[in-house]
Amino acid sequence: MHTEAIDPPGIDWQRVSPKYVTVRLVEWAAANLAAVLVLSAPLAMVLLGWWRWPPLWLAVTVPAVMLLAALWRLVLIPRQVRAIGYAERDDDLLVRSGIFFQRTMAVPYGRMQYVDIAVGPVERALGLCSVKLHTASPGTNAHIPGLPATEGARLREQLAARGEARLAGL
Amino acid sequence: MTADGHLPGQPPAPTAPAPPAPVPDSTETSDGDWRRVHPASPFVRGWFALAAIIFFFGRDLLERMLQGQAVFENGFARRAPWLLGGGALVLAVAVLGFILTWYFTKYQVSGGYVRVNTGFLFRQHRQARLDRVQAIDIVQPLLARIFGLAELKFEVADAGESAVRLAYLKIGDARQLRATILARASGAVPDARAGTGPASGPAAGTGSVPDPGTIAGHGTIGGTGAVGGTASGELYPGDHPARPAREAPEATVLAVPPSRLIGSLLLSEQSFVIVVGGAASVVLSAVTDNRAFYFYLVPAALGLAAGYWNFFNKGYNFTAAVSPNGIRLRYGLLDTQAQTLPPGRIQAVKISQPPLWRPLGWYRMQVNVAGYGASGNAVEGNTRTILLPVGMFSDVLAMMSLVLPDPGTDAPAAVFAAGLSGRDSDGGFVTTPRRARLLAPLTWRRNGYAATGTALLIRSGRWWRHLVVVPHQRTQSMALHQGPLARWFRVADLVLHTTAGPVAPRLTQAGLDEARQLFDEQSARARLARKRQTTEQWLRQVVPATAPNAVTGAAEVAAPLPEAAAGDARPHHQQEGQQHG
Repeated sequence: MHTEAIDPPGIDWQRVSPKYVTVRLVEWAAANLAAVLVLSAPLAMVLLGWWRWPPLWLAVTVPAVMLLAALWRLVLIPRQVRAIGYAERDDDLLVRSGIFFQRTMAVPYGRMQYVDIAVGPVERALGLCSVKLHTASPGTNAHIPGLPATEGARLREQLAARGEARLAGL
Repeated sequence: MTADGHLPGQPPAPTAPAPPAPVPDSTETSDGDWRRVHPASPFVRGWFALAAIIFFFGRDLLERMLQGQAVFENGFARRAPWLLGGGALVLAVAVLGFILTWYFTKYQVSGGYVRVNTGFLFRQHRQARLDRVQAIDIVQPLLARIFGLAELKFEVADAGESAVRLAYLKIGDARQLRATILARASGAVPDARAGTGPASGPAAGTGSVPDPGTIAGHGTIGGTGAVGGTASGELYPGDHPARPAREAPEATVLAVPPSRLIGSLLLSEQSFVIVVGGAASVVLSAVTDNRAFYFYLVPAALGLAAGYWNFFNKGYNFTAAVSPNGIRLRYGLLDTQAQTLPPGRIQAVKISQPPLWRPLGWYRMQVNVAGYGASGNAVEGNTRTILLPVGMFSDVLAMMSLVLPDPGTDAPAAVFAAGLSGRDSDGGFVTTPRRARLLAPLTWRRNGYAATGTALLIRSGRWWRHLVVVPHQRTQSMALHQGPLARWFRVADLVLHTTAGPVAPRLTQAGLDEARQLFDEQSARARLARKRQTTEQWLRQVVPATAPNAVTGAAEVAAPLPEAAAGDARPHHQQEGQQHG
């Protein structure tokens, strides 16, 4: 895995579990297929001759565009999952994400207020969990999804221990 | 309810040998006692309901009298007992509710905590750690002011979004409680017998601007060191631990004259919109020969007048003062408010200048303070986060010297001037590289950053000028962002995360290499700054090795007491400001 452009050089990124792609696929299906189906309803109505409006081209275009966008997002999912990474440095945790819109975040251990572990139904079936760090700032959106449950527990313990050792005030 | 009920330095000072307990006379209560708010509080809070009832009945009565009708209808005598009985019942229930509310609202300051219990059906116990205090406000709405009452608001970092509120106390009690809380939160009280901690702390905290002369001749900055020193003499009496904490003395740093406040309102963005909108509607009605446009102006004018009034009412008589316990801001025409921000509690500062203010050289300052941003009421949050409603450049420097006592550079005035009005590499700023000028054709020469020893300065905006200052030790976390366009131009954004508030520090379109380097450097700087700051108690953030010197220093510093205690803004150049922590 090569390091991307905005990352600090020489970081050995830990990647999330490839099984997280399945979680993202389920989420994608729930959101996008439903949207495409709803938007296709006028097309069906027009084809059945029940509705006179909208015109056929509009009724075809809208769901088609939605479908294309959804497929594009579908194609991106495996790459997006591969782009998520985290690295435990001596004093802070680095979290990166994104392919087109990249983000690299550094959260000092001493600033962590608490660490959340969340498990959804699909994640539970796959033995995954997601870890979320909170600081005093609402802008700290450090979210590491798709960790194997054991790795998530280890990370949480590790973060808590390091946070305690380097605890700072606000 | 006594005016001097709080005794500092008893239970929270386990190391100090217990002094003989003071004779508990009638005017003093001991430290851990539960106390109640003023009995009139529920009535002052519920005045709106009472006023509404009086208004409706009174109007009815008045109309009848004016119309010459009998005040009471026929047959009133028959129903009178029932009406009176019902009215009395409602009144009794209301008064009982008020009394119960008052009876079950208690507060206590002891053992490093403030505890407040409220409610009688749904009881609520809230406690807040004193050393996590972020700000203390004393608020006096008009009615409370008439009765000499005040509300005390206490923001803590670890209490979630809601602050501790005590409404209402007598104004003297509120000040007394504020002094007690601040004396304990500062760490001064447990150390009272040693008498060393406070001595050099305030000087370091408030007066360590390297050269007061460079701060645009504001002699009062140098004078603040003297204020800090005098505080240790009388605030924390080592021989009298039973004496209640006194209010820390303070020196006024600046005041905003009403004329400038009015001017700033007239030249604000909304005035511009009004003028343009008014002109447009006049032109439209002239062209279309339609009078209807005027009708839209009436509600708009009413709303705007209310907005202006609100701002004027809140910003009137704005004064900033400095005391060993932090920055004091006072303002208000009808409703007055006094905020105390202890040293080191300001997370980020934004200095901004709309284009209409530029000819007059005015600036506005806003701050992020933990607890302020999260307060539910948006209007209240807005006014509380204003550090300076309108001020000249010298005022900005004076306030910055309070917020950031050690600017970490030799020429703070030059750096801040470059941050506010400079472009390109003035004052050591690093701007957006030339290759990315198409991304920000107007602002690429302004967008930039400069790092001093203690803070990161981020400047932006060509017409609406902004300068954001984030102390290194207040950075929570940070992130680099880059979109596809930015990647094409090899630039990136650096976002610093601070607590919720009006300031959102974001360095836009920095060169990729510079941004990456800053990301690393900033992590290192924040780490170093965090290590340097060891405790939340600001008077204790002093190396103990300086203790013997500090005692003599305190004596010297305490000498100009009468001058400083006068509390005036008279410039007196003193060298205490050069004591670095």
